Amino acid sequence: MTRFSIEIWGEMCPIPLIKAKKKLLSMQCGDVLVLETEHSCTSRGIVVWAKANRYLIEETEVANGIWHLELTKTHD
Amino acid sequence: MENSAFHSQQKWNIGFIVFLTLLLTLLSQISIHLTVILALGIGLGFVLQKSRFCLVSAFRDPILIGMTQLTQAFILLLGISILGFALVSWGASQSNIPLRLNVFPLGVHTVVGGILFGIGMVLAGGCTSGLLMRVGEGFAMQWVGFFGLLIGAVIGQRSQVTWRNAFGESPGIFLPDILGWAPTLILEILVLAALWRLAKWWQKKQLGE
Amino acid sequence: MNKILPTIFHGPWAYWIGAIILGVLNILVLIVRREPWGITYNIALWGEWIGTNLGVLNDRGLTIHNLMAATGTYLNLGLILGALWATLVASQVRFKPIRDKKFFFSALIGGLLMGYGARIAYGCNIGALLNGIASSSLTGWIFAIAVFSGAWLGSKLLLKYLM
Repeated sequence: MTRFSIEIWGEMCPIPLIKAKKKLLSMQCGDVLVLETEHSCTSRGIVVWAKANRYLIEETEVANGIWHLELTKTHD
Repeated sequence: MENSAFHSQQKWNIGFIVFLTLLLTLLSQISIHLTVILALGIGLGFVLQKSRFCLVSAFRDPILIGMTQLTQAFILLLGISILGFALVSWGASQSNIPLRLNVFPLGVHTVVGGILFGIGMVLAGGCTSGLLMRVGEGFAMQWVGFFGLLIGAVIGQRSQVTWRNAFGESPGIFLPDILGWAPTLILEILVLAALWRLAKWWQKKQLGE
Repeated sequence: MNKILPTIFHGPWAYWIGAIILGVLNILVLIVRREPWGITYNIALWGEWIGTNLGVLNDRGLTIHNLMAATGTYLNLGLILGALWATLVASQVRFKPIRDKKFFFSALIGGLLMGYGARIAYGCNIGALLNGIASSSLTGWIFAIAVFSGAWLGSKLLLKYLM
């Protein structure tokens, strides 16, 4: 299990999700992708997308208006 | 939230509620009608933000990431509005209350305007309702977008005549006038149901890959 | 009750819940205002007024009294205040500066295109699309197809210049 992270800070929707999708393709099963955003809709969109894809996703608010996301690639 | 970087903003919240109450009370001294309108506006902004409703996302996400959950929600909103508007306009005609619906003239400018609007909302990261919502949320990017919107709207408003003169326009078609109320509503709900099925199928297909 | 209220305030709500409440509010606006909810017409009026006062536009007799009596002004103001309140309730207020120059230009160009497009077509996503279709107007459906094609073109531009 490896932890990856990509820079999506300040990016407009839906660029973070497109970047995350691309990154996930190069990851192994069980790897974790860490993301951080200050955009409420971006965070929500990624959570909804991950759930629809049956990936494991954990969303935490680390500061006012900042969301920390940890997405586990559970399957190919 | 046990994290140290997270501070409660409840004091500000209470202050803001007091401010809103004062604003509404003050306005109610001038006009009850405008007070109700402002309260409804606040409600719309609140719900838009809380449910992360975004019409750009409803149109763009099926294309870019194959997600249609917001598209489906928007179709639901359309369905509720169609039935509600039909009921209200029936009630208004029964009791002779004047009511204006948005049946706009149709012309080349409808299509050109729609395409420009569609491009613009993807680039600005919000359509007009999303833009105003994000202005309130504190996004500097949408403040710039709002500035652009102000200028664009004035230029557009002033060039309406030019478009009309150049290409002409036909009066808006109010579907119940041609088809009657019941067939119109049935047809519209059937179209929405078909679109909803299509959206559902599209997301399944996109995720299945 | 002690648990429900914080959950409501904190959100986020499911999309379909938002859709239902927005639908109800949209109908209430129609009842109270006797015309559907719309955004850009009022924005154009404010733009006119600002432009006239800066001396950029010729005066067409629009006064601040007209604007303060317009229902659209209060809907738009309410939308901004309501969204701010919704973030404040959840302690999520934060100023988000522009982190990249490209987004400054995309927002400005996008805003200009939206304002222009909405006003020549008599309305935006709310006035012409949502409430055009809700009014059972054929124009609303055609505008929706045009907006969808525009969003498709915009997506191409986004992939090319903003990624």
